[in-house]
Amino acid sequence: MRWSFILNIIGMLILFLGICMIFPLLFGLYYKDQSVIPIMKSMVITIASGAGLTICFRGVKVPYISHREGMAIVAVGWTAIGFFGAFPFYLGPEVETFVDAFFESVSGFTTTGSSILTNIEAVSKGLLFWRSFIQWLGGMGIIVLSVAILPFLGVGGMQLYKAEVPSPVPDKLKPRIRDTAAVLWKVYALFSLLQVFFLLVGGMDLYDALCHAFTTMPTGGFSTRNASVAHYDSVYIDLVIIFFMLVAGINFSLHYQFLRGKPLAFWRDSECRFFIGTVILLIVIVTFNVYGSVYETIGRAFRYGAFQVVSIVTTTGYATADYELWPPMSQVILILCMFLGASAGSTGGGMKCLRVMLYLKYCYKELFLLIHPRAVKHIKIGGVSVPEDVVRSVLGFMGLYVGLFAFSTVLIAGMGVDFITSLASVAATIGNIGPGLGMVGPVDNFALIPNPGKWVLIWCMLLGRLEIYTVIILFVPEFWRK
Amino acid sequence: MKVIIVGAGEVGFHIASHLARENKDVVVIDKDPAAIRRVSDSIDVQVVIGSGSSPVVLKEAGIKEAEILLAVTDSDDTNLVACLVSNLISPSTKKLARIRHADYDEYHEAFSENAPHIDTLINPDIEVVKTIDMLMNVPGAVEVGEFADGRVIFVGIRLDKSARLVGISLSEIFAKTGKQSPLIAAVVRDEELIIPRGNHKLEAEDLIYFISEKDKFRDSLSIFDKYVEPIDRVLIVGGGGIGYRLAALLEKNSVYTKIIEKNPDRCIELAEKLNKAIVLHGDGSDQELLKVENIQDMGVVVTLTNDEETNIITSLLAKRMGAPKIITKISKFSYLPLMSMIGLEQVVSPRLSAINTILQHVRRGKVLSSRSIKDEQAEVMEAVALETSDIVGKPIKEISIPKGALVTGIIRNDIVIIPTGKSVIEPNDRIIIFAKKQAIPEVEKILAVKLEFF
Repeated sequence: MRWSFILNIIGMLILFLGICMIFPLLFGLYYKDQSVIPIMKSMVITIASGAGLTICFRGVKVPYISHREGMAIVAVGWTAIGFFGAFPFYLGPEVETFVDAFFESVSGFTTTGSSILTNIEAVSKGLLFWRSFIQWLGGMGIIVLSVAILPFLGVGGMQLYKAEVPSPVPDKLKPRIRDTAAVLWKVYALFSLLQVFFLLVGGMDLYDALCHAFTTMPTGGFSTRNASVAHYDSVYIDLVIIFFMLVAGINFSLHYQFLRGKPLAFWRDSECRFFIGTVILLIVIVTFNVYGSVYETIGRAFRYGAFQVVSIVTTTGYATADYELWPPMSQVILILCMFLGASAGSTGGGMKCLRVMLYLKYCYKELFLLIHPRAVKHIKIGGVSVPEDVVRSVLGFMGLYVGLFAFSTVLIAGMGVDFITSLASVAATIGNIGPGLGMVGPVDNFALIPNPGKWVLIWCMLLGRLEIYTVIILFVPEFWRK
Repeated sequence: MKVIIVGAGEVGFHIASHLARENKDVVVIDKDPAAIRRVSDSIDVQVVIGSGSSPVVLKEAGIKEAEILLAVTDSDDTNLVACLVSNLISPSTKKLARIRHADYDEYHEAFSENAPHIDTLINPDIEVVKTIDMLMNVPGAVEVGEFADGRVIFVGIRLDKSARLVGISLSEIFAKTGKQSPLIAAVVRDEELIIPRGNHKLEAEDLIYFISEKDKFRDSLSIFDKYVEPIDRVLIVGGGGIGYRLAALLEKNSVYTKIIEKNPDRCIELAEKLNKAIVLHGDGSDQELLKVENIQDMGVVVTLTNDEETNIITSLLAKRMGAPKIITKISKFSYLPLMSMIGLEQVVSPRLSAINTILQHVRRGKVLSSRSIKDEQAEVMEAVALETSDIVGKPIKEISIPKGALVTGIIRNDIVIIPTGKSVIEPNDRIIIFAKKQAIPEVEKILAVKLEFF
């Protein structure tokens, strides 16, 4: 572990983050609101710290980054970015304690969307833009963005990319990692622009359209309104957002193939079929479950049912309805959706459909082998056998995910939080969804969680965003041995 | 430029890492997931798992946009089929195949004229035999290469402790020896490669790379206190493809040759094919056999079996028993840096020569040949100076030659010029450039035609 080299790169990431603060500053200046001074201060602090680190540890040139260093850079880098991203919140009048600011910032970068703000509409426009913008940066990955546009990472970009986008079967779209990262960001930016356009057509103003596009494509879920998307009460806007949440929940390499003129790519991909199939099935169940009991007409049942299922399964976390008033079956389905999550290679969180598929196939294989003990059977995805070590790593992931979920829930419950809230707050943060149930339901927020509990949830959000391994590895003593 | 490499073995791996470093778009195909993982973990290239001879896999790798296909698996058949299939899908892609079997020797031309239209067949064994031949003839040489159709020789030699030049700086060589020094391109000291200046002092055990005209080669060598002696007796251990080729060549040159081979059937085959050479059945690492065959009286011992460890052990044994000169064949790249440490300096590697030959075909501009030296720390390239490139028409000291690169020779109409700062490169001159690894992309840029970008 060459720490000076690692800190040098992290310094550059922080510097880059500081430069990104120019965008909320421009919005603040335009609206002449109270966010200008805090953002300017944060920008100075962030740029100075980033430049300081870069300069202190400059001159360390290494031809490659090892696997271990890649994970350390990503895990420590994300924590540092969350830390510096918290300054605009902390220095402004809206957020009082640092832990709240840090929680809001990490919730943004990890595209979780859990908030400690009680009255969002009272927050200055500049700061709200920063809140949406950090979700956009975090969605496709701030390190992937750095790999794409900053030349300094060079060959080592690959190790960082793998640590930030730990899909079970990595897709490299272009021969060089830099081009791959650039392609992903271009597709991402293109869809974001399209969404802005469609929202504008629906009568949203430019500011709200930008902020909502910036939090839909990364499946983030921060809204600029207290009532979230329900504020607009428009069928058109609901449908546009449902569509773009689904787009964001699908593997971006399929979008790339689609844009290159292969429209069948979605259908050919078995994970995509599984994802869309599951979403449709769940929408149908929830629609019939809430029809009659909550909503009078089937149309309204479908509109709210579909929005909520898609919002939770893609791990976005917008709300158009208070699903805590729904029948228990729908609530349980939504909780299970939090665990399922979106596709691998998408911006969504959760366990990811691909892993769940592999896990189910593994279970079936075990049962099959009980019946035919001598059978030779491979686990296949899309007709291709999955290597044994990939299956093993997926099983390990599932185990760790559930284990860490249980561990964190015990911690939160130990702080005196009630049963439902403990479960739901951890499920909602580790899966990067946003709202949970109970005290942290869709019409409530995380302000009432005790401060130590917020630290636990911050940790959960980072675990979920970097898909467990990259973060948890820092807690393994063997990682630090020479 | 997009390059597809079929085969992720040692050859494919090293070519891929060379090309990725030079910012080319590389896709590597291999059947073995473990080999592919090794590539994707350490090189920035795209990988495809599958058979390189399958049209589906080649299409997935993007053969249609590829400029060059390099078929470099260990299997001749796979390489040929991969070229054949790519010719069907994408006829405009340039195809290179690594083909080792001697039976194909006569058909190299036919393959490029007729259907799979393979632009170049590369047989590293031929190159290796050529290198062994040169190494045998140059005393003390660690590396030898030919440029300009053999008119210019590039040599790496180790400076003996007793040599006159120990402790002398480059600018004083003429005063010391009374002879014009050849151009010293590089000096390797403690595993570090440096491009020396006039005030650089030579030390004992330095590895010196220099360039010389073939005619003046004996003179150049004598400056370093090395003298060419004719070889009369050679012992070859291992009668595989390379062993046979070498024995046949030596036979032609009337050198007394013995060849030891373990496999009795192969011995019979060799005895049928060879007329004068003595074929011995036995194990090359058998000390008794070596003693009986008077190993200490052999001019050169060449170990060429297919087993790395056997080659190393046999060479060490021969060295201990008093053989004056030993050449060892090594394929595993990780062993190469160890060889000089255990005192086996003269090493040939078929894989390395395959890489050298293949790379020169991939480079832009008119690079005629290139070879990497000293664990790939640097490369020597021979190129044609194109009329439109930046280097033509100016004195060398005014050209912006990248740092870490050196023009070491100019060949104009059969005349070899060892350049000074005032020499001017003219269009269609052939130039020999020595470049450290980091400088290669830059060198390629100054050699390339400017018009190519429009």
